[in-house]
Amino acid sequence: MKIAVCVSHVPDTATKVNVGSDGKSIDPNGVTYVLNPYDEFAIEEALKTKEAVEGEVVILSVGGENNKETIRKSLAMGADAAVLLKSEGELDSFQVARALADEIKNQNAQLVFFGKQSVDYDNQIVGQLTAGILDYNCISVAVDFKLDGDKIIAEREIEGGREVVETTLPAVVTAQKGLNQPRYASLKGIMAAKRKTIEEKDAQIGESMVSIIGMQKPAPKQPGKIVGEDASAAPELARLLREEAKII
Amino acid sequence: MIIKSNPEEFQDYLSDAANFKGECQKVFFPESNEDILLIVHEANEKSIPIAIAGNRTGLTGSSVPLSGYVIATNNLNKIIEINKENKFAIVEPGVLLSEFQAKIKEAGLFYPPDPTETNCFMGGTIATNASGAKSFKFGPTRNFVEMLEVILATGEILTLIRGENKVQNGMLNLITDSGTAIELEIPSIKSPKTKNAAGYYLTQHLDAIDLFIGSEGTLGLITKIKLRLIDPPQNIFSTVLFFEDELKALQFVKSARGKSKDQNQLLDALGLEFFDKRALNFLSKAYPNIPTSANSAVWIEQSYTDDSAEDVFGSWIELADKFDADIDNSWSAMTDSERAKFVDFRHAISWKINEYITQKGLHKVGTDTAVPEDQFEIFYHFAQKIVTQNKLEFVTYGHFGDCHIHLNMLPKNSEELKTAKKLYGVICRKAVELGGTISAEHGIGKLKRDYFMEMYGEDVIRQMAKLKRALDPNGILSPGNIFDEKYLVNNA
Repeated sequence: MKIAVCVSHVPDTATKVNVGSDGKSIDPNGVTYVLNPYDEFAIEEALKTKEAVEGEVVILSVGGENNKETIRKSLAMGADAAVLLKSEGELDSFQVARALADEIKNQNAQLVFFGKQSVDYDNQIVGQLTAGILDYNCISVAVDFKLDGDKIIAEREIEGGREVVETTLPAVVTAQKGLNQPRYASLKGIMAAKRKTIEEKDAQIGESMVSIIGMQKPAPKQPGKIVGEDASAAPELARLLREEAKII
Repeated sequence: MIIKSNPEEFQDYLSDAANFKGECQKVFFPESNEDILLIVHEANEKSIPIAIAGNRTGLTGSSVPLSGYVIATNNLNKIIEINKENKFAIVEPGVLLSEFQAKIKEAGLFYPPDPTETNCFMGGTIATNASGAKSFKFGPTRNFVEMLEVILATGEILTLIRGENKVQNGMLNLITDSGTAIELEIPSIKSPKTKNAAGYYLTQHLDAIDLFIGSEGTLGLITKIKLRLIDPPQNIFSTVLFFEDELKALQFVKSARGKSKDQNQLLDALGLEFFDKRALNFLSKAYPNIPTSANSAVWIEQSYTDDSAEDVFGSWIELADKFDADIDNSWSAMTDSERAKFVDFRHAISWKINEYITQKGLHKVGTDTAVPEDQFEIFYHFAQKIVTQNKLEFVTYGHFGDCHIHLNMLPKNSEELKTAKKLYGVICRKAVELGGTISAEHGIGKLKRDYFMEMYGEDVIRQMAKLKRALDPNGILSPGNIFDEKYLVNNA
């Protein structure tokens, strides 16, 4: 079975983002770009599925030459092949979904993983739009995934709990943190990734449906220290309270 | 200048990261040399002891006062200059290492010393000649210190510039900024051929600046530091390799160490850090990706260029294969943020152990020993064996590139604590017997003086103490550090 993973190349959340001189885009100067963190869960789930049911994992990404860095990382984690759908300039979610749907159809991928959102514009919609265009079933914000033949049993994170859902292939699944523990690239994976070719095609993007009128930074907050945003930050917080603030 | 004289307000200054406790009358927070001189003049006149406190991350009690005053360097915290063109930085002692590293990175430069604890102050890193994972390649902090401004116990200021004043015929002549000459007889001692942080650095051609680096606050108070910086590596390769067989992991380290020191080889590790099975167990909850079959791990870093990437990776794979590393499950960082995660992984073992002992109300007795390369395997197995034989829980990790072991015993009750302390002495003695050191990076402070004595013998201690007395005749600076009080009275 061919499994597709759609990845995006986004500013590192640790990087300082500024609005560009046109007032409606991110100024790329001094910004470190990385593989979208939620996409790491998507890649891991695709690799685990491939290891369980045999198949091939193909990475798809819409964007410019710089996306190759993120694609290489995905390949180093263990993906088999990659296609860069080339496009310059800002695209809206619908354009990205159209370009991806076109290539997914071309690849005849029956199972498609996305990160639940990209941490650049946070629209959290490209996976669902792609499923809509392809008329695939869709499970979003998945925190558990099982494939049994054509049947998928997954758990979705919902407010205050989880819901168990069932569907069949072909399907799109968008990955939430907690779905798995993404692997690091291995030494051999990095070497192998260097030798793999990234196929390049022009993205079929169609017309845009959303245009950005303006972009502005939020008002500066009072100084504080954010150690992290979930339970994984607790050890660091405890360490700082103990070693820096010395209050515990 | 803030002065705290209510004990409730300065409790933090009465202990360090080893939880060594002390007491004092006042804590001063000077903001300038003038402030410091006021304190030092008074203390010297009245023979009041002064402890010098950085961020109190030390593990030997060296920043903890036994009585008298504390000079806290928190408000001497300016980065005075970062010079990109000539690649140096000038800082005050109270700058946080983590902040300094971040600023240097922002400036497009690189400061190689990387102590595991980055919440320390720069002054502390000089006073202990701190080292870290990358010291394997770059050496300790000493190698990057170009200039120091030091206030002596007498209130004289000394400016020490590397290369300008060296020992001649066993004598070192220091001239203070006001022109006072101080003549020191530098003893000739036999130092271990390992990374070493025990006592003063004394060599035949000693540079005056090196006497003060690593002197644990006993010779003077550091007020200004000029550090050499270098160009950052184009890329850094960072990998954690897991091994099922611990012996093979140790052989891998030995081979990687040898190849890294051979200039004809492609392998050139910045650091070789080892974790044993027990260390991995401590980390497995926070790092579920650790393969369950792993019995040890080695974290390697190496710099490389885009052109050498393929060859460097290939060489490491070949070596890892030779010693049966689990290459498919190895972790390789492809971005700076992933590399930072591996740094955290290494740091996590130290604080997870501290967290564990705090929660369980246990003690930790940890070695800081290093031995010469050809004695390393003997030493490692000796230490493992005696602790295992005595049925103590323990964890081993460390800078194995430098043959430097942190073996942490975790005694569960006072009986076991007694055994652990006894074994600590046995392990230290073995390290010395094999030509090594009892302290490769933490220093002596107030906690390791007895072992220091065993390492060098009383005669050497007396000679070192004589240097201290020549510079600090009233013994006011950091009393209790390195030397027992009896060596600091005249005619000792």
